[in-house]
Amino acid sequence: MILYDYILSPDAYKVRLMAALTGLKLELWAVDMHPGREHQSEPLLALNPAGSIPILVDGDLILTESAAMLVYLAKLAAPEWLGENDAADAARIQQWLSFSRRLTDHLGGARATEMLVEPGDLPSLQRAGTVDLREVEAALAERRIVGQCFLAADRATIADIACFPYVALAPDGGLSLDPYPSIRLWMRAIRMLPGFIEMPGIHRLHELKPEPVSDMPETV
Amino acid sequence: MPVVTLRDWIPVALSADLPAATVIPAHTPSGILALWRSANGELATLADRCPHRGMRLSYGFVRGEALSCIYHGWSYGQNGQCRRIPAHPDLTPPAAIKAASYPTEERNGVIWIALGEPKAPPPALEGFKPLRSITLEVDAKLISATGDVRTRLAGVDVLLLIVGISGSETVAHLMVDAAATESDCVTVSRAAEGWRRECEQLGVKELAS
Repeated sequence: MILYDYILSPDAYKVRLMAALTGLKLELWAVDMHPGREHQSEPLLALNPAGSIPILVDGDLILTESAAMLVYLAKLAAPEWLGENDAADAARIQQWLSFSRRLTDHLGGARATEMLVEPGDLPSLQRAGTVDLREVEAALAERRIVGQCFLAADRATIADIACFPYVALAPDGGLSLDPYPSIRLWMRAIRMLPGFIEMPGIHRLHELKPEPVSDMPETV
Repeated sequence: MPVVTLRDWIPVALSADLPAATVIPAHTPSGILALWRSANGELATLADRCPHRGMRLSYGFVRGEALSCIYHGWSYGQNGQCRRIPAHPDLTPPAAIKAASYPTEERNGVIWIALGEPKAPPPALEGFKPLRSITLEVDAKLISATGDVRTRLAGVDVLLLIVGISGSETVAHLMVDAAATESDCVTVSRAAEGWRRECEQLGVKELAS
């Protein structure tokens, strides 16, 4: 299974994270998006005419939407991540998978404009991103009232993985996460999951490891 | 029953939003402070600036009974005194390496910080329990002259502790009737979203007038 990957792409990170959390091995194929614009090259357009990253190829199957990749990996290796217990839970999962597209458009758009200097209307992307963050916060606040900390079930599911990266990277687009206490605790719960991996801008929880002890000064 | 909140104390967070071994940025009218709870549950508030290189301590992490800076790992105790410098493991950090600390109290599920030295403890807010904290993009003066709002949301008695953190941003800690059920709390939480939209509309009208 080959993942056409880019280290700074939150959508590609979703797939790497899902594979790490479920113990699946992916063959990573690093695409030179910047500065090479390799995702717009003919060999990659042949796989994905939209020219976006990530692309997941497994035999004859070619997937170009990260939400579909999460479903595929979960179904293959860890069906409990699909979280479908009843009609409402199944619908909740679909709701958040679709919602994650809004995060890509708004928070991802603000990040691309602010950090990667792509053209975009930053104030209006930030306004739309704030509406999205408030929706996630409100949903998580409700889950906490009934004693749960994940979006769509009593455990982490593909819904959480689909929404986590763009939310966590909102500050790259100039949107502080300070106003969202439930989002902060949710992100912490995700980063505590066994097998969690980092991407640039999303670090692991240092406190989960014991304080390093050494006779030699630590390099800084 | 009038509720008097002594504004020697600033409500900055709900207890449930600060579990053991975590740090958060506490927004006050005078700026951001690093509010943290140790692994043993001790609360402390420090200036949000590492004395070493100025990094925000609220970006750091709590290991055991110390708050560590994310930048070079300098760690601080509850009183703000630097305890350890990882690059100089044998050095006892000088007393001068100290972040300012502030009185911090927790009462009935609300965490309060004082910038001075208050004579009385923060209010108990009996009859209410904490629900959630929300941030509004509006001047606090348009919402409340006193710092509190007593109202009903979705038919349930609520008390909102209002803190203006800038001319255009306000934090509201939402307390509900202590007798509210789980399902009441969900309904009130949803109604609070509408209350925020109303308040923000006031701000838009104020700007237009």
